[in-house]
Amino acid sequence: MGADRDEVSAAQATAGIEALYPFLYAEGERDVGAVLEEVRRSTAEKAAEIVELRRSVLEREAGRLAECAAAMAARFSAGGRLYAFGNGGSSTDAQEVATTFLHPPYGRPLPALSLTSDVAVVTALSNDVGFEVVFSRQIGAFGKPGDVAFGLSTSGGSGNVIAAFEEAGRRGMLTVGLAGYSGGKMAELEALDYLFVIPSASVHRIQEAQTTIYHALWELTQRALAATASQEAAVSR
Amino acid sequence: MSLFSEVRAATEEALTRREAPGQALAEDAERVARACYDMALRFHRGGKLIVFGNGGSSTDSNHVAVEFVHPVIVGKRALPAMALTNDPATVTGVANREGFEEVFAHQLRYFADPDDIALGLSPDGRCANVLRGLEVARDLGLLTVALAGGDGGSIAASPKLTHVLVARSTDPSVVKEIHVTTYHILWELVHVFFEHPGVLGPEVIK
Repeated sequence: MGADRDEVSAAQATAGIEALYPFLYAEGERDVGAVLEEVRRSTAEKAAEIVELRRSVLEREAGRLAECAAAMAARFSAGGRLYAFGNGGSSTDAQEVATTFLHPPYGRPLPALSLTSDVAVVTALSNDVGFEVVFSRQIGAFGKPGDVAFGLSTSGGSGNVIAAFEEAGRRGMLTVGLAGYSGGKMAELEALDYLFVIPSASVHRIQEAQTTIYHALWELTQRALAATASQEAAVSR
Repeated sequence: MSLFSEVRAATEEALTRREAPGQALAEDAERVARACYDMALRFHRGGKLIVFGNGGSSTDSNHVAVEFVHPVIVGKRALPAMALTNDPATVTGVANREGFEEVFAHQLRYFADPDDIALGLSPDGRCANVLRGLEVARDLGLLTVALAGGDGGSIAASPKLTHVLVARSTDPSVVKEIHVTTYHILWELVHVFFEHPGVLGPEVIK
C-alpha cells in the first residue's frame, strides 16, 4: 500500500466492492447517513448528560469537597504523602491523581504515588498471594499515619480497593474514596473518612464525573495550602 | 474569609469553568460521528487502535486501550487497542538515543500496520512527540485522530491529520475531562456502526 493511502482511497475501495456487491452497496449507502445521524444525536445527548451530572454532584458535594480538601491539605502540610489506587480504567485515574499532585500544571508539587504503576510489584503480589492484596500490601509497606489513601472504584465493590482502605484505616491514614451507582460496599465501609458517590447507571458517566471530583479535590487542596501559608505568613509578620 | 468558606467558594468557580466546554462538545457531534465512522471502517478492515499522549494524557492512552480491549458493557466485542506509554524500557530508550520527540513515532514506524488508527492526545495541542507520531502515522497510511484543547496548537494546524477534536478550554484539568467523555463516546459509537454492518462493507474480520 502506498504512503498516501487515506480515506479517499478507502472510498475507492468501496467503489470496487460496489461492482461485486451492488445490492449491499446500495443498502449500505442509504444507511450511512441514517447511522451517522443516530451517532451525532447520541453524542449530543451524552455531552448534555455529563454536564448535568457534573453540576448536580458538585452542587450537592460542595461542602464536603471543601472539608475533604482542607483535611488533605493538613496532611500534606504535616509531611504526609498520597497513595492512589484503582482497577482498570480507575487505575488510569489513580495515575492521573498521582501525577496531578506530584507534577501539577500550577501550584505546589506534592508527594503522591500510584500503586498501579509497578508491574513487578502488582504481578508478584497477584501471583504469590492474590489480587485482593495488590494495594493493601503496598499500603502496608508505605503507609504512615499522616498519609492519605485515595481509592477509586466505579462499582464501589472492588475487593482490593476495600482491603486497601481497611489497611489504611488501621494505620490512621486519611481515607478518601470515589464510587458510583449507590456506593456499593464502599458506602458501608467504616474505614472511609470521605466517600464521594456518583449516582449514575453508566460506568462512563461515573468515570467522567469522578475525574471532575479528583481534579476539584486537587485544586481545592492547593487553595487550602495557599490560604494556610498566607495566614501563617501574616501571623509570623 | 475562613479557610472553609474560601475553599467552598472555589468549588462553585470550578463548576462554572466546566459548563461551557462541556456543552461545546455537543456542538462537535458531527465531527465525533465522522471520526467514529472512519474508526469503525478501520477496525472492520482488521486495523488496531494505537493511542499516545504525555503526562496526564498518558493515563488516557491506557484508559482508551482498556476501553476497547475489555469493554465495560457485556456483549460488546473486544477490539484491538494498545497504548504506546506502557513500556518504560522503550520510552526511555528512544528518548535517550533519538530524543523525546521520537518516542511515539518510533513505535508507530516499527509496530503499526497501514490499516491501523493512530489516536494522539495533547491538552494544549502543542506536544511535539504527539504531532510527530500522528504525522508519521499518516505517512504510513494510518487513520489519524487527535484530541486537543486550547487553541488546538500545532496539532490543529497540521494539514496532515484527518480528525482533530478540540476541547474548548485552556484549563488542562477541564480539557482532560472533555477528552474522557469524548473517547468514551468514540468507543460506544464505533460499536453502533458494528450493529449496522451494511454500512461497513463485507466482513473482513471474524
